[in-house]
Order: sequence, then C-alpha cells, then structure tokens
Amino acid sequence: MFLLAATKSRPVFWHFTTPLKVLWYVLAVLSVLVFLYGVARPIVKWRRGHGGPWPPYPWRELPRRLATGLRLLLSHATIARRDHLAGWAHRGIFYGFIVLFAGTVVLGFNTDFTDPVFGWNYFHGNFYLAYKETLNVLGTVLIAGVLAMMVRRALIRPRKLDYARPDRNSDDSQFDRRVYEVGDWAFVVILLVIALTGFVLEGVRIAMDAPGYAGTQFGGWVVAQIIGGLSHSTLAGLRHGLWWFHGLLAIAFVASIPYTKAAHMLTSYLSLSLRDRLAGKRLRAIPPERADLPAGYGALSDFSPLHLMNLDACTKCGKCHEACPANATGRPLSPRDVILELREQANHAFTAGGIGGVLGGLINEQANGDGFTAGVIGEDGVRTETVWSCMQCNACVEACPVGIEQAPIINQLRRRLVEEGELDANLQSVLQVIHKSGNSFGENRRKRGRWTQELEFQVKDARKEPVDVLWFVGDYASFDPRSQKVTRALARLFQEASVDFGILYDGERNSGNDVRRIGEEGLFESLAEQNIATIEKCEFNRIVTSDPHSLNTLRNEYPDLGASWTVAHHTTLLRELIESGRLDVKGRLSYRVTYHDPCHLGRFNGEYDHPRRILELLGCTLVEMPRNRDNSFCCGAGGGRIWIPDTPGQERPSENRIREAVSLPGVELFVVSCPKDVTMYEDAIKTSGNAERIQLRELTELIEEALVPATQLVPA
Amino acid sequence: MKIVVPVKQVAALDEEFELLDDGSGVDPDFLEWDLNEWDTFSMEAALQIRENADGDGHEVVVVTVGDEEAEEGLLSCLAKGADRALRIWDESLQGADVLAVAKVLAAAVERESPDLVLCGVQSSDAVYGATGVALAGYLDLPHVAVVKGLDYDAAQATATVERELEGGLVEVLRVEAPALLTIQTGINEPRYATLRAIKQAREKPLQVSDLADLGLEEDAVGQAAGSRAVALKPPEPGEGAEMLNGSPAAVAARIVEIVQERMSG
Ligand code: SF4
Ligand code: SF4
Repeated sequence: MFLLAATKSRPVFWHFTTPLKVLWYVLAVLSVLVFLYGVARPIVKWRRGHGGPWPPYPWRELPRRLATGLRLLLSHATIARRDHLAGWAHRGIFYGFIVLFAGTVVLGFNTDFTDPVFGWNYFHGNFYLAYKETLNVLGTVLIAGVLAMMVRRALIRPRKLDYARPDRNSDDSQFDRRVYEVGDWAFVVILLVIALTGFVLEGVRIAMDAPGYAGTQFGGWVVAQIIGGLSHSTLAGLRHGLWWFHGLLAIAFVASIPYTKAAHMLTSYLSLSLRDRLAGKRLRAIPPERADLPAGYGALSDFSPLHLMNLDACTKCGKCHEACPANATGRPLSPRDVILELREQANHAFTAGGIGGVLGGLINEQANGDGFTAGVIGEDGVRTETVWSCMQCNACVEACPVGIEQAPIINQLRRRLVEEGELDANLQSVLQVIHKSGNSFGENRRKRGRWTQELEFQVKDARKEPVDVLWFVGDYASFDPRSQKVTRALARLFQEASVDFGILYDGERNSGNDVRRIGEEGLFESLAEQNIATIEKCEFNRIVTSDPHSLNTLRNEYPDLGASWTVAHHTTLLRELIESGRLDVKGRLSYRVTYHDPCHLGRFNGEYDHPRRILELLGCTLVEMPRNRDNSFCCGAGGGRIWIPDTPGQERPSENRIREAVSLPGVELFVVSCPKDVTMYEDAIKTSGNAERIQLRELTELIEEALVPATQLVPA
Repeated sequence: MKIVVPVKQVAALDEEFELLDDGSGVDPDFLEWDLNEWDTFSMEAALQIRENADGDGHEVVVVTVGDEEAEEGLLSCLAKGADRALRIWDESLQGADVLAVAKVLAAAVERESPDLVLCGVQSSDAVYGATGVALAGYLDLPHVAVVKGLDYDAAQATATVERELEGGLVEVLRVEAPALLTIQTGINEPRYATLRAIKQAREKPLQVSDLADLGLEEDAVGQAAGSRAVALKPPEPGEGAEMLNGSPAAVAARIVEIVQERMSG
C-alpha cells in the first residue's frame, strides 16, 4: 500500500478476488453489448421510412457533417441561445460527463490494454496527479450543472418545460406526461449519484491510504475529513461496497443510454450534424420515385428517414414550444408536441424483431414495418386542427438546438391533408382561385399591372425590353388597394433614382411560396414553372421584390427547378440608392419607430440589417421590440393562415404583436417591409384598439415622405 | 351501378369586357373558363353515392358537350374521382341552344344506360336551368329538379330526395332508378382536386366523340334547336341616375348635398 502511495497511484481492483474481476469484466462487456444493440435499433426504425433517401446525405459527407456538428456542440451555441442558465448548466454537465467518461476510458486502456499487453503502466506519478486533478474539477462542474438543472426544473419552472399539451384537453388520456417527468428526474438524479459516489469513493481511499497528495483530489479530501474517524474495517467495507455501487451504476448507465432520455447524447448530436441549412426555407420536392403515391406524410412509412431520426432527437427542451406564435396565442399547436406525438407513435409501432431483426434491418433493403402504415393524423394522433394552426413561420426550426425540422414535417402532413380534401373551405377556394387566375385575389390576370396606371410615367414591360432590375411585384403588392399605394411609392422612388426597372405585367403568377406552405405541392410546381418560363425569356441583371414571401421562394426554392438568379429585397436596393446618394433622404425624419422583421425576410433569409440601416439613415430612432430579429413574432399570415378564418374571440398573433409594440415608450410608428404585414397590422392596430397610439408605415412610404418636401405631401 | 354526370365548362366575365364586333357574344379575350359551380355539387353527389355503395364495379361517368376548352373541367372531375370522361364536340354545335345540347347528351347517356343521371340545376353563364329537364324528357326518365338532399339506396335502386319549397317547407320524394335529378348548390361540400391529381387524371380514359360517333345527324340537332342567340348587349342606362365620380371625399360631399336637397325638397 505504502509503495503504491509513494509512487502516486492506486490499484484499480483493490483486494479483488479473481472471480470478482471476471464478473466485473463480464458485466462491462455485457453493458457495451446492450448499448450497441440500443444504438442499432433506432437505425432500423429510421430505415422503415420510405419518404426520402437513406442515408439522408451521401456517406462521404458524413465526416464533414459530424465535424461541423461537433463544433456546434462544443460551443453550445444552439443550446445556450435565448437561455443562458440552461446553456451554462448544460455545459457543466456535458464537459463534466465527457471528461469523466474519457477518464474512465483512459484508465481502462491502461488497466486492460497497455499494462497487461506491453507491461506499460502510465497510471502513476504526475500523470496520475494531473488526472485526478482534472477529474476532480470536472466532476465538481458536472455536479454544479446537474444541481442547476434541478433548481431550474423544481423552482424556476420556465414555461417551456411545462409539458401540458395545447393540442389536448386536460381530461384527455394523452395529456398525461408524467412519464417524461420521471424520466427527466431519473436522468439528473442518476448523474448526480454517479458523480457523488465517485467523490465518496475517493474520500474513503484517501482516508484509508493517506497518500499525502490529497490536495489535488479536493473532492475526495473533503469527504475524507468527514469520514476519517471511521474504523479501518468499516472503511474497507465501504470501499468495496461503494466501488461496486459506483461501478455497476456507471456501466448500467452506459447500457441504458440509448433507451432513456440519455439517448439524446447520440440522437441529438446526429440530428444536429445532419441539419439542413435550408430547412423550412426550401421545402423538399416530392421524390420522383414517389410521384404516383399520395403526397406527404399520412403514415410513418411515408416519413423520410431523416425526419424519423429527428423525432428521436428531441430533448423536450421546449425552445420551439416557447417560440411558436400559434402556441403563444392559444392555438392547439406546439411544435414540440407534434414531434413527441409522432415519436410516441413511431416507438409504439416499431418492433425490431430481436437481435436478428436488428442485424437484418441494418443490412437489408429498407423494410416495411407492420405498424408503420397506420395513419398518424387523427383524433388520437396529430389532429387536423393542429396541422392547420401552423403558420409555417419557421420559428421552431430556428429555435431548435438540435436541428429538428418541425415546420417541414408539419408541411408534409399538410400535403396529405390537402390531397385528402381535409382543408378549410375558404382555403380550398383560394387554391382554386390561384389555379384559375394565377393570383390569390381572383382577379383577371390582365389586371396585374393596373396599379401602374395611376403613375405619371410608364413602367417598362420586362418581357419586351431589357432592364437592369426585374421587379417581381407579387400578389398583395399588385392587387391589395392599401399595398398598391406602397407599390406606387416604390415605383416613384425607383424612377426618382433612375433605376432601370420593369415588371412582368400579366405574365407574373403568384410565386407559390404560400401555396407550397399550405401543402399544395402540385400547384406550387405549376406556378413556379410558369414564372420560371416567363422570367427565363427576359433580359435583366437581378430580380427585386418587395414581397419577402416571393423573395424566399424565388431565391431558395426556384433553383431546385432550374432557376439561378440574383434575388434581392427592395430594402437592399433602397439602402444602396440612399447610401450612394441617388435618393436624397438622409436625416430628414425624426420619428421614434419600431420595426417588425417579416419571417420570410429575417429568419428565412437572414436579412435584418438593411431595413434598420435605412431607418437610421432617414434619421429615425429605432426602438426594438423584445422579440426582434431571428426571434421575431409571426404576423399570423404565413402558411396560408391569411386565408383561413380566425376563430372568433381568440387573440390574433398580429394583435399580440401590436400590444408588444405599443408597450414601448414613445413609439409613433410601426414599420414593416412586407405587403402582407401591411394588411395584417393595419387591421390589428384597429382591432386591438390602438389606432390612436401607433400608425403603420411600410419602409418605402417613410422614404417617400423623406424625399418629398412636407408641403407637397398628398394626404393618403 | 352507374351514374352519369353531365357537366359544362362555363365562361366567367371580367368586370370590364368588350363584345365581339358583330355583337353576337363577348370577346373571348375577356373570358375565363371554369367548371360550372352547380356541376361541382352534382359531381360530388355522384362520388359520394359511389363511395357509400357496397361492393365494386360502380362507375361515375362525366359527360360534356364542348370544345377543347372544356377538357380542363373534365380533368378536374377525373381528378376528384370520376372513372371516365366523354367529351362530345362538333363544329356545328357552336352556339347550340339548350334543346340541341340536351339532344346530343341524350344520345350519349342512352348508350351508357345509367342508374342515375345527376345534372346541375343550371349553368352560371346561360342560366336557363333547362338542360337537365330537357335531357330527362329526351331520355323519357322520371326526374326531380332542384334537389337539396339526396339519399340513394343502391340495393332498392331508389333515391329519396328532398326539395325546398316556399316557406321553408321540405318536400320529400322517392324516385325509382333510372332517374334524372338536377342538383342544387349547397347539397354537399365539393372536394378539392389537387394539381397533382389533375395531372395524374390525364392517365384516365377521356373519350372524344363527334355527332357521327353518336349516330346523330347534324340536321337532327339543328332541328332540335328552339332558338339561337342573335345579339348580346349591355342594358340601357335608366333615367334619373347620377353617377358620382371623384375622390371619396368629393363623392361623400355630393351625397350629403343630395340628401340635404331631398330632405328640404
Ligand atoms: S412554423 Fe411557426 S407556427 Fe408552425 S409550429 Fe413552427 S413555430 Fe409554430
Ligand atoms: S423539437 Fe427541438 S426545440 Fe422543440 S423541444 Fe424538441 S429539441 Fe427542443
């Protein structure tokens, strides 16, 4: 003993008989096998999805993706976002766990490999001391992290951790989520117990061996001070008992990882690595091999393996639950609960067929799962009203720390509902109208360019002559009377700044962005093809649009259909024109304003700064709303919701937003940069009774105001 | 069981339109074509009867008299679930009236010998409301017009139908198949045909026939015609109306003036 202490080390198996050692190794190997089986099983499950490729990306991309995922994971950027406490606590647990786990592996490598095989034992001396010191620090960090999470769950209780389902009544059997709570608590408690018993074991060892270098093992040292008075035989009994307790718990934990909440260590990392940068911004086309099958997701077998994997990756962190505007305004939808509902269904339906079944499932062609053909939408599944409550605003995708595609999955459910005719009657007629007339207003297509008639100049027809800027106007900006004012203002600004621009007149069709988000994929394709055919024949340098919805689909979705253009929002061009002095408007205004980021411009396309810079150049003072930039709150128009009548009496997202704006001191103007926002907020300002307190302006109108001397302004 | 659904592709007018130079119709440039609204309800009724009937072998056949423009309407019916479609066209049918069309339809429907013929009450562009009834006449079938409720018992081959009468009274009738019903809007909720389904519907059988294929003579159809449109014109503006133009403010001011004039006068 003395000798060992003097060489600054310790025996791994202290006073162990050979049978005990053998037992230990048998159990350890068993635990690894159980772990491996648990890892393979879900892979077989994901392969039961036929709605997309397996692997989701070519294998050769995997190393790069795993590396990117690892970088994100190490930084904790996605986890800490909008929740610093959870970020730090998770960092503690993550790094603590990783290092303690690695420590065990290093020790095992020494004991089971280098020492017996090469007779090389590195587990002593300064290496041992540094090892102990590191593990002590990280063990403490782990415990701190776990305690912080416990405090958060038990005392702080943030809303996002409330598992109450907005899509179920409290008397519904599926409302009960206590199983999840038990799982959450078991997870943190077991981590805590493993870490604590490690320290106690260390303390017993120090108390017995008094190695004289206990300072590096402060955790154990503290314990040793407490239990130092115990007799040697008690300590020895404790040492044996604890060793087995700690060891068994640890290997049992390893074995259980794939089967419990701990599985997120694997699935969430995988999901994060396979994250699609364009998720929700570019929805996926129907794979050619599924062209003759019903569109979208009706059963689990219709899912893509990627999306089935997504379901397993959810950590129930609630970030999406908190960000969702539908949930915030009392709709029966939470993206978290859609994911969990589908996950429960998948786990319920999946039978692996034992070890043989799993091995076969890994090797063979993608198999059909028995339970995987049952419908996922219905009273006991994802309810239709849940699916239709979504605004496809992508706030959930943006918020999810592990790269889950809630909005695209909901979109796939919609595709099936549309095909089965399970859609709101109003929405149905809007789709028919768009199909017939190419616009959502049901206007004759020749009227599309009619807004230009009130201008003092002629707007070029981009189909007939080359232009620098091809202006894709969009439905709302073309037909809605309120938005037409903005559209004309923009035309005048372009004219004033001598921009060489033209429009497509009756050649333009609805861009299809919202049609696609409703789930009418065929109509989207047809609209996109018509627009592409028209635009392809024009000569221009770039496309500009004031409609973020059109911007998104032209920029992110049309390329899949063969288009490759530069597409800019009007705020980009206007900023250029102001900064280059072609529009002389700098410093002319002095309003106190707030600015609403349209989902499709901000979150979808990362453009936050041009509108803000313009406001600054105009001389306005911008007061930010609490929910701004990527955390902007959907106006409620997205995903076709603008055409679905609201349930009377419910707060509309747009009203919720206006209330947020009027709570800011001294703000006079609510500035937007999307034609749908003009409609939605003009309305919400009135219906929420705030007409006296705040007014709406499209950014273009402010620029026009700054340009025209006040005396010449015509009242709107 | 077989149900035949005659449909029509109708023209919808833009708010502003021009007439043809000879005044015989509207310049087609200003028309948009669509399936007659009433026919979407009769189509839906047929599909529902087929879906609710036991066993297989039931068929819904959609028929139209019209040029190629009408094919789109047939495709949407096929997309919704009709089993096959038949389009009848002949240049001599240009401008044919109700009776002529009914005669042509009769020849086609007769060959199908259906259990039920479901028509729309009327077409939104011509607004005669007579094609269905005339067709029943030619086919010598019992008919019920303006049906608001329909329950078909395939085993008994009888339809129980409801009609709405004056004062909200509901008349319930029983009619034995084969029979012809003209279906009123609102009887059901017509389903949506996705664009994918419409594309896929091109794979379904769509037969195009002319008069000769149906064993009809041009003359026979011509003789059936009772009338032919000679002119189309906007109504003469009435006396005493004053059109108010100008900005909303100016219009409002003028209205106030008029009201004050009348009240003092
Ligand atoms: S897309 Fe928006 S509305 Fe739909 S679930 Fe996600 S956050 Fe909620
Ligand atoms: S889906 Fe993502 S954001 Fe939502 S609860 Fe699960 S892990 Fe959190």
